[in-house]
Amino acid sequence: MKIENEEELRGRKEYSLTVNGRKVMVFVHPSKTLLEVLREDLDLIGTKCGCDDTNCGVCTVLMDGHPVKSCTILIPQAAGHTILTIEGLEAAPDNLHPLQQSFIDHTAIQCGFCTPAMVLTAKAILDENPHASEEEIREGLHGNVCRCTGYKQITEAIMAVRDGEYGDFLQWEEVNHK
Amino acid sequence: MESLIGKGCRRIDAYDKVTGRGLYASDYDNQFTHVAQIKALRSPYAHALIKKLDISRAQALDGVIYVMTGYEKGIDWDQFPKAAVLAMDRALWAGQTVALVCAETEEIAEKAVDLIDVEYEVLPHVLDYYDAIKPNPAAVVDPDYETRDQGFMDRPADRATNRVSPNIVGAYFMNEGNVEEAMKTADRIAEGEFWVGKKTASPMECANALCRYDNDGGITMWSNGAGVHGVIKQGIVRILGMEESHVRVIQPYMGGSFGSRLNPFIELLTALMCIRTKRTVRYKFTRKELFIASPSNWTCITKVKLGAKNDGTIVANDYYLCEEIGAALNNTFFSGRLSSSGAAPVYTWGHNIRMDTYAVTTNTVPAAEYRGLGCPEAEFGIECLINQLADELHMSPVEIRKKNMIKRGERDCYGELITSTGIEKCMEAVADAIKVEEEPVQDMGVWKKGRGIAVAGKQNTPLGRSEAEVWFNSDGTIELFISCDENGMGATTAMTQIVANEFKVPIEAVKTTKGDTAITPYDNYSASSRTTYNCGNACMLAAQDCIRQLKDEVARAYGLHPSKVEIEGTKAILKGSYVQEVDIPSLFVPVGMFTQGNWGLQKGSPVKGHAVYCPAAIHQWGKDGRADRVWNWFQYSACAVEAAVNEETGQIRILKIASSADTGNPINTETIRGQIIGGIHMAVGFATMEEHLYDDKGQMWNCNLSDYRLPLSDTLPTNDNVFTFICPDPLPDGPYGAKGMAESITIPVGPAIAEAVYKAVGVRVTGYPMTAERILKLIEDRDAVSEGGAR
Amino acid sequence: MRFEEYYEPDTIEECSRLLIKFGDHAKLLAGGTDLVPKLKNKIWHPQAVIGLFGIPGMDAITVSEEGLTLGSLAVLRTIQKDSEIGEKYVAVREACGHVSSLQVRNIATIGGNACNASPSADAVEGLLIHNAVCDIYSAEGERKVPLCEFFTGPGKTVLKTGEILRGFFVPAPKPHTGCAYKKYTIRGDSDISIVGAGARVTLGEDGKVADCRISLASVAPTPLISSKTEEFLIGKELTKDVIAKAGDIASGNIRPITDARGTAEYRVEMVRVWTRHALEEAYERAQNN
Repeated sequence: MKIENEEELRGRKEYSLTVNGRKVMVFVHPSKTLLEVLREDLDLIGTKCGCDDTNCGVCTVLMDGHPVKSCTILIPQAAGHTILTIEGLEAAPDNLHPLQQSFIDHTAIQCGFCTPAMVLTAKAILDENPHASEEEIREGLHGNVCRCTGYKQITEAIMAVRDGEYGDFLQWEEVNHK
Repeated sequence: MESLIGKGCRRIDAYDKVTGRGLYASDYDNQFTHVAQIKALRSPYAHALIKKLDISRAQALDGVIYVMTGYEKGIDWDQFPKAAVLAMDRALWAGQTVALVCAETEEIAEKAVDLIDVEYEVLPHVLDYYDAIKPNPAAVVDPDYETRDQGFMDRPADRATNRVSPNIVGAYFMNEGNVEEAMKTADRIAEGEFWVGKKTASPMECANALCRYDNDGGITMWSNGAGVHGVIKQGIVRILGMEESHVRVIQPYMGGSFGSRLNPFIELLTALMCIRTKRTVRYKFTRKELFIASPSNWTCITKVKLGAKNDGTIVANDYYLCEEIGAALNNTFFSGRLSSSGAAPVYTWGHNIRMDTYAVTTNTVPAAEYRGLGCPEAEFGIECLINQLADELHMSPVEIRKKNMIKRGERDCYGELITSTGIEKCMEAVADAIKVEEEPVQDMGVWKKGRGIAVAGKQNTPLGRSEAEVWFNSDGTIELFISCDENGMGATTAMTQIVANEFKVPIEAVKTTKGDTAITPYDNYSASSRTTYNCGNACMLAAQDCIRQLKDEVARAYGLHPSKVEIEGTKAILKGSYVQEVDIPSLFVPVGMFTQGNWGLQKGSPVKGHAVYCPAAIHQWGKDGRADRVWNWFQYSACAVEAAVNEETGQIRILKIASSADTGNPINTETIRGQIIGGIHMAVGFATMEEHLYDDKGQMWNCNLSDYRLPLSDTLPTNDNVFTFICPDPLPDGPYGAKGMAESITIPVGPAIAEAVYKAVGVRVTGYPMTAERILKLIEDRDAVSEGGAR
Repeated sequence: MRFEEYYEPDTIEECSRLLIKFGDHAKLLAGGTDLVPKLKNKIWHPQAVIGLFGIPGMDAITVSEEGLTLGSLAVLRTIQKDSEIGEKYVAVREACGHVSSLQVRNIATIGGNACNASPSADAVEGLLIHNAVCDIYSAEGERKVPLCEFFTGPGKTVLKTGEILRGFFVPAPKPHTGCAYKKYTIRGDSDISIVGAGARVTLGEDGKVADCRISLASVAPTPLISSKTEEFLIGKELTKDVIAKAGDIASGNIRPITDARGTAEYRVEMVRVWTRHALEEAYERAQNN
C-alpha cells in the first residue's frame, strides 16, 4: 500500500465495486481515478494509460456495460457499479471471448497498446447493436485511437464476430456466465 | 511440410496483448520497492538565457533525493541525444529540460519542480526554416559550430562550410552528369518550392524507463526504448562509463515507436539518475512531454527543378533540400544526405542530377529518426512535379513514370546497382485499383472528386549487425533468442517464422525470447526497415547452424556423412542407413544423479546454433557525393487515391485508397498488410492534419491529442475502398528474398492526395499538411484569379 | 492529492449548504469529463469536491405537453438515444450526440456541459436554439434563468455561491418548427469544434419565418446568439439567397480568436458556410412538421 502522506491517508475512504464479476473493496483517496485504482490497487494492468487526458481511449473499460475512459472517472463515480476490464473478458485462458480470438486470427493487433480498450469498446458496440454496420462500428470506435493498424483488420475482426463466424457471441456470454 | 514463407501466420504475441497479460514498460512500475520518481522542469521559452537557477529550495523539500541541472559533474552533453540535453546557460527550445528532480513520489517531485527558482531573459527565436536560414537570423542556435571539435563524427564531408546562415550545421553535395547543360536541352521546365510541417510520431505508449539499482552497483533497466543492445546498453556504457557486465537492459512489450524511440532520450537520464542516487528510479513522460521533449521528425524544404522533353523523358533534376533539425548543439548527424536519398531510387534523371542539401537548426524540439527518415518530405516535391508534367504534357501519370524509372540491374544516380525493384508492378497495381487514368463522376455536390497517383523508393541504410541464437532442446522443442525491437510491426513473428521454416515445423513449435541483453544476443535496433533483412538473415543462418550441428550428431551416431541427413523438426531423415528416420530427442542421453561420462548429447543440454549477420560496408563517396555503395537495398511503394475536396470548407476526404509495397518475397503477408494499412493511415494523417503549431512564445500550442490531430477510425474509407497489394521483387541477399517495407508506403500518399486535390479543385498544394484551411485559401485564390482580380 | 475532501450529499439542500460553506474552494462532480482533466492538469485544486449522484431525481428526463424537462445529471448518451424525446426535440438529441466520443457521452451530463461553460460546448447548443430555461436551486432560494443568459464568459456562468443548476426546461416547439445544430470539425465529433452553428426556425402560416434562433459556438467567449441574423430572418421566406445572406450576416458579426484549432479568418468563413447549412436543415425540418 503506497502511502503519499498523512493527509492523504486520513482522506481515504472505502469504496465497493464489482470488477470482473467479483465484489472488491478498496481503501483509497477519493481523488484517485478508476484507472489508477485498477492498475495500482487491484493490480489489473491490462488497462493502459496513453495520455491521461481523456483524448486517446486506451484506458477504456466497461462500466455497467458501457465504454468509459477510466482515466477520467474518479473512484467515487465507479463505486457501486460493475466494471469489466480486459482481464475479465475471457472465460478461461483457453476460452477467449470471440472478439479476442477474432482479433488474433485477423491480425488486428500490432503494438497492442490500444487493444484491450479496442476489444472492450467493440464488445459494447455489438452488445448494443448486434447488426452494426461497418460505418456504425467505425463511429463507435472514434474515441479509440490506434496509431499502428489503420483500423481495417480491426473492423474485419469485429465484423467476423458480428457475422457469426465465431458462433453466437451473445450466447457465448450466457453460456460462459458473463 | 509446406513452406511458412509468405503465410499469414498468427502473431506470436497476439494472445498476450489481447488478454491483457502482456507487460509493457509501465506495467513493471508496481513490481519494485521504493521506486523514486523523476520529474522535469522545462523551459517555457523557445530561446532564453537562464539568468538564475537556484535549486536549493527544491533540494530542501522533504522527500527530494536529487536535483540535476545542466551543470551536473562529469557529463558531456554533446554525447547525449539532443532531446535529452539539459540546458546550461541557455534554453534552446520550449520544453527543454532545465532541471531534473528525483523524489520519493511523483507528487513530491512535482512540488520540488515548482520550488526551483529560475529566471529567464527571453531572446528572439527562430521556429522554421525560413527564419533560420537568413544570413542574419533573429537567433543563432549553435553559435560555436565553427569552433567545435568534430568529436566522434565519421563523416567529415557532411560538415558545413561557407555557410550562408549561421544556423546551417551540415551540408552534402552530389553531382551526376551535367545538370546545367542538360537543362538547356529540355523542352519544358517544371519547378517548385515545397514545405512540410513538423510532426511527432505519437505512439500510443509514452516513453517510460525504470532503472533498478542492483546490489553490485550495476543497473537493470526496463524501458520501452529501442535497441536494448545497440542503443540503450551501449549508450549507457559509452556515455555514462559503466561496465558492460553491470548493465542489463530489457525491452518488454512496446507500444509503438515509428522510429521515435531510436534516440535514448529518456533512458540515459534515467540511468544517470539511478547511478547518482543509488536508487531504483522511474521516469515516465506525459503525453505533453512526448510532444515538447521527445524528438520530432525533421521537416524538409525542397526546391526542385526538372527539365523534360515533350515526350515525358526527364533530362535533369536540380535539387535543393534543407532539413530543419530543431535545436541541436554540435550536430554530427544531419546534413541533408539522408533525406535527399529519396531522390535516388526511383528515377534515372537522365543521369543528370545535382543535389545541394543542408541541415539547419531552429528553436524547436530536436529532430531524430522517425518513419521514412526524411524521404516522405524529400520525395513530395518530386512526385508533385512529375504529376504536373504529366498534366501539362497530357500524358498518363503512369506512362511518364515508366519512361523514367530505373530498372533492376541498372544504376541509380549515386552509381549504385539496383538489385531489386518492384516499382512498376507496384504502380500498375494501384493505378488499376483506383482507375487513376480515368475521371471520376462528380456526384457529391460541394465535394469535388479527383484521383492521383505517386510512387516512392526508400533506401535501407546498411546499419549495424544482428546476431541470433537458436536452440534445439533435448526434447525437440526449439527456441530463438534475438534482440531486434518489436515495436508492433510483427518482427518477432517474422523471425520465428523463418526459424520454424528452416526446421520445417509449425510456427507454434518455436519459442522466441527477445530483448534482454543478459539473454539475447546483439542487435542494433529496428531502424530503416532493417530488421527483416538483418535479423532475418541472422535467424535463418543461426537455424542453419543449429541444423548443421544436428546433422553432424545424427550422422556420427549412424556412421553417415552429414550430407546424407535431412532435419525435419524432431525427425532426421537418413539416406544410406539401415534406418530411414530417427527421432532426434532419443539421441539425447538421459542422465541420473550418478551417471558418468556425460559428453555429447544429453538431456537438458540443447544444441545451440549461432549466427552474426552484417551488411557490407558502404564506400565513402568522393567530392561528387557519389559511390557505388552508399546505401544497401531499396524498398518501393506506390499509392493511388480518389479524394474529394469540399469547396466550401477545404476539407479533404479519402474515398478510395490503394497502396502497394515491394517487400521482396514477403515473410508474413498478414503483418505486412497491417503495416501497409497502418502506414497509409499514418501518412494520411501526416499529409492532411498533423503539424506542430507554435504560439508567439515559441511554445507548442497543440501539444495534446485533442488539438494535434491524429488520424482516427474514420480517416480511411470503409474496407471495400482500401486496397493493399504486395508486389515483390526478390532481394538476392534478403532472407528468402525478403526485404523491409515499413517506411516506403508512407511516402507516396501525400503527393497522390496532392494530385487528387489538383484534379478535384484545380489548385496545386506545395506542402503538407494540406489542412482544410490551407486548401480553402488556395481555392479562394483560384477564384480571385479567375474572377480577374481581388474580391 | 488533487483535492482534500470529498462529499456525497443525499439532498440538493445539503449540497447547496456545502457549496456555501466552501465558497470558491469547492467543485461539483457530475460526469467529471471536464472536472477530472482540470484536476489532473492542475488547473483547479479545490479544497473539496462534491459528488451530485447521491441526490435523487437529478437525472430525470420527462416529456409533457408543455415541454421537455432534463435533469442536470441526465447523461448525454441517454439523452441522445431517448426515443421519448424523439423527433420533436431531435436537435437536443443530436447536439448531445456531437460531444466527443462514445466513452465521454456515456458519462458526461447535460448540466456539466452547461456549467463548464466552454464557448465550444455542443450539448447546450441544442437547448439554446429551443430557448431552454435553466432551473437553478439554492438553499436560499430558487430562480429561473434563460439559458441564453446563463453564460458570462469562458468557464463562467451566472451561478452564485451555493447555487446548483438543477435542470433545464425546454418549451415544446410550436408547429412548423425545425431545429438543427451543425458541429464543424476536421475529425468528426472527437475534435472540439472549429465553429458550431445552431438554428431554429418557426414558420408562420404564410411559410415565412415567424420566429427563429441562431446560436454559434466557438466564435466568442460564450455561446453566441446571433441577434442580427435573427432580426434579418424574421418575416422572410427562406430562399437560397436569404439563407446565404443570413450566413453572411452571421459571419460578419463575430470577432473570433485564432487558436490551435483554427484561425479567426477561417472561423469567419466557416460560420458563413455552416450557418447556411444549419438553416437549410432547420427549414427542411420545419416544413415537414
